[in-house]
Amino acid sequence: MVKKIPIGPYHPILEEPEFFELIVDGERVVDIEMTIGWSHRGIELLSEHKTWDQIPFLVERVCGICSASHPYAYVKAVEDLLGIEVPLRAQFIRVIVAELERLHSHLLWTGLAGHFIGYNTVFMWAWRYREPLLDVIEAVTGNRNHYATYRVGGVRRDLPAEEIPNILKLLEVIESKNSMLTKAILDDPVIHARTKGVGVLPRNKCREYGALGPTARAGHYDIDGRRDHPIDAYDKVNFNVIVCETGDVFDKAVVRQLENFESIKIIRQCLEQIKDTEPGDIWTEIHEVPPGEGHGMYEAPRGEVFHYVRSDGGNTPLRHKIRAPSFNNILTNEVSVPGNTVADAGLITAAVDPCYSCTERVGVVDSQSGSRSILTEADLIRLSQEKTERIRKRLARSRLGV
Amino acid sequence: MEREEAKKRIAERFGGNVQVAERSPRRVYVYAENDVWVDLASFIFNDLDGRFDTGAAVDDRDGVEVMFFMQFDRDNYTITIKTFAQKPNPALDSISNAIPGAKWIEREIFEMYEVDFRNHPDLRPILRADTRPEDFYPAKREIKEDHETPRGRDDGVARADEVAGKPLKGKNP
Repeated sequence: MVKKIPIGPYHPILEEPEFFELIVDGERVVDIEMTIGWSHRGIELLSEHKTWDQIPFLVERVCGICSASHPYAYVKAVEDLLGIEVPLRAQFIRVIVAELERLHSHLLWTGLAGHFIGYNTVFMWAWRYREPLLDVIEAVTGNRNHYATYRVGGVRRDLPAEEIPNILKLLEVIESKNSMLTKAILDDPVIHARTKGVGVLPRNKCREYGALGPTARAGHYDIDGRRDHPIDAYDKVNFNVIVCETGDVFDKAVVRQLENFESIKIIRQCLEQIKDTEPGDIWTEIHEVPPGEGHGMYEAPRGEVFHYVRSDGGNTPLRHKIRAPSFNNILTNEVSVPGNTVADAGLITAAVDPCYSCTERVGVVDSQSGSRSILTEADLIRLSQEKTERIRKRLARSRLGV
Repeated sequence: MEREEAKKRIAERFGGNVQVAERSPRRVYVYAENDVWVDLASFIFNDLDGRFDTGAAVDDRDGVEVMFFMQFDRDNYTITIKTFAQKPNPALDSISNAIPGAKWIEREIFEMYEVDFRNHPDLRPILRADTRPEDFYPAKREIKEDHETPRGRDDGVARADEVAGKPLKGKNP
């Protein structure tokens, strides 16, 4: 019997509202329809009423997690219009803050994914180690999120020399704990059984749908703006772009876990090289923004953030277009969700790391009788965790030979 | 594909229907006639192996300028393709059938600017609340001029007439 299962617009493991309607045949999803726009805030139009220097404060509130990525892409767009370079010290500070953000974002996702499949220990660990990271970000920028660091022409705040040993010390801790988490994920047969082959997004579909970030790289679509369109100090550091083969949920987790090591590597190189720059030289003064247009991209934790600005020579933009990576990545669920079970659907939609909300409603609609029943948020998680438990028991029995 | 090679192939394929310009080594602009819009996007996506990134629009008084950004990741440059959808009824052929990733951004441009993307598989508003009127296109110049305060005014800063002691509109003197 074909049924429709609406998920959302509120969902327990995701930070912003989204609405998915699953069309299912028994346990199998045959199609998915998505509705976005539940918290459309009109930020692009708001931006047209802010001065060029005020806008970074606005756009870092597009997303609480990507509060470095949006201002980064915005200032690069304006600097593209202006055709200016920023001081080397500011370039390093920008990259350090952005990579610290990537670390905390990936750890946050790992924790949520662990919770969703019933591995609350992973959830506790990942969030436990994210916390000192946020402390360091606070020490460097003045805030745990919404860093107010980026400005057109440079950064607003210098990196205090006394913070560098603290950051290096923390990176050692994060590196060792990330190794432990990565090993736990890569070696766990239950996680393999639960996530491998689930929600596959092949390379050709990544390209057709414009998938970005870890969602694309998990499917062997080898794009990374930090390497392909290097901005600021990214061409002064060495790092690897992590690419997997199949594009399933497991690969998406692996990409994020391994990228944490690359972020640590990048931050260390920046901290080493920033010692050779002049303290205080963090800003190129901008007097006016001439008529013209520019666009800026930055490889955020979820994928490339894109900002386009157009100026008529005034003190505000004539047009400011923002494209967050989730806008492209959520659309890929059209490909990755059908063919999987209802218990996996939540996991697959979460695997692109979209911004979702903390509450959830799930309704089941019988397309033939028209009857509708609402499930609570606990029901969808329960479905997912029960499936993990079944797999765990099955693997345990097979090991015991019973 | 290298930038010069891409520019040459676009010029060869579309001739006088496009104008190719370059603002910097990383930014190439191709201005296209409406007739070749879909062919141009498909050609860059399929033949030149560009990556579809996203789109944007700007409302001019006479029409809507629509642009799509195609990235060339290996060679570090962007080709921005642009065309102009003439008012009063701006319309373009949809590129979503050639590039599925363009589906949502075309819906957004339709919703914000009332650009009718012909042959789009599912052209309906994507962001608006259910309660918003059907014919309300918030980014259209005419709508913005009717509903918004002048650009550049910061809400936290009093205007000259407020400073001069004149009553604010809507408030008791």
